[in-house]
Amino acid sequence: MTVEEQVKEIVSKIAHIDKSIISREATFKEMKADSLDVVQALVAVEEKFDIEIPDEEAQKFRNFGDFVDFVAREAAKKKG
Amino acid sequence: MSQSSAQVRVAVDAMGGDFAPGEIVKGAVMAARQGDVAVTLVGQQDAMAAALRSEGAPPDLLECVHAPDVIREGEAPALAIRHKRLSSIVVGTKLVKDGKADAFVSAGSSGAVAAAAATYLGMLQGMERPTIGGGFSSFAPNIVIMDLGANVDCKSHQLLSFAIAGTVYSRTVYGIARPSVGLLSTGSEEGKGNEAVKEAYGLLKKSGLNFIGNIEGNDILAGKANVVVCDGFVGNVILKFYESIGDHARVWLLGKYPSVKRLVGWAFDRVLPIRKLSYEGEEEGSGLLWGVNGVVRIAHGACKAEHIVHGINAARKAVQVDIVGNLRRELELYRAQGIL
Repeated sequence: MTVEEQVKEIVSKIAHIDKSIISREATFKEMKADSLDVVQALVAVEEKFDIEIPDEEAQKFRNFGDFVDFVAREAAKKKG
Repeated sequence: MSQSSAQVRVAVDAMGGDFAPGEIVKGAVMAARQGDVAVTLVGQQDAMAAALRSEGAPPDLLECVHAPDVIREGEAPALAIRHKRLSSIVVGTKLVKDGKADAFVSAGSSGAVAAAAATYLGMLQGMERPTIGGGFSSFAPNIVIMDLGANVDCKSHQLLSFAIAGTVYSRTVYGIARPSVGLLSTGSEEGKGNEAVKEAYGLLKKSGLNFIGNIEGNDILAGKANVVVCDGFVGNVILKFYESIGDHARVWLLGKYPSVKRLVGWAFDRVLPIRKLSYEGEEEGSGLLWGVNGVVRIAHGACKAEHIVHGINAARKAVQVDIVGNLRRELELYRAQGIL
């Protein structure tokens, strides 16, 4: 499973969103995820990949693709 | 006080509530002195130490965990738990998550407590959002209303999950074998209500729950349904209106019938427990947060020490009867039938 697929799985489960509507271009608002969904997803992803997503970075995510790219970069750094 | 293996461990948010930390610490000390529960206070070290000193509590009576941040009422809950990861609410919730406490009690921001519980403890499968349930014990002792304020906007399937949680509540707390479930609406007919309520009616009808249809506001205190299902916006408005009735009725009667002032005072103080409407019984002053994977009780912001004692004891009982496991098993049954 790719990082994108894993993150999609987490977001889909937490926000009860059909995976088919989660695209790289979609914003959380467009996916009808509320602020608690987003926070829950951030924490779940941090735990899954054992990374930290600083709030200032999270605020820069324009869409799901930005979120996935950040997670992929941090996960790769973690692996070394 | 040394902890015995049988003791339930309850973490208490020392910083939450209108009278924190004083009343909260006082209640925690009273509960710890009972000896049947191990209490851990969570909050700012200096504030907790000062409050413990003023209670004359010996240093080994209870444990303290330092949490430097405080989430204030009015802060956006989801953002607050993210920005204030060292707040008493987040630290206390994580004690449960990490297995260092069996339950968490807080009189802090209800939204933040619910958000922290959903985020760090996770939701039981079948529950999307936490819900707060409670009853109006004076007039209608065997009813539970869900939700009382955790979710202001609800989707139809969330209302269904509240009905299931309310059914488990009614069975576990009131011992009612097959609780009746009423959907609060603006009329008893199936087509009444907003879109979420109308959709929920259909879901509840085929749920296998003991659904009796829509009920109206005047049916609540009549006890027409054991479980009253509504969104948290409606539930919270009802709760606060109800809580205010006693004091206003007393003032109104005294103004209307000044010649029987003593009788009115006597009636309200001795006969009618109306001023304590929703604070009676073991549920006094706090409610269980349903749907999260752990025992969390949210106390009324204006609670005093005795309410904290009740909250801690009720949390202990919830752990001992495995109330979370009961709900998990019930939800699994509905999920297996494809209802959730």
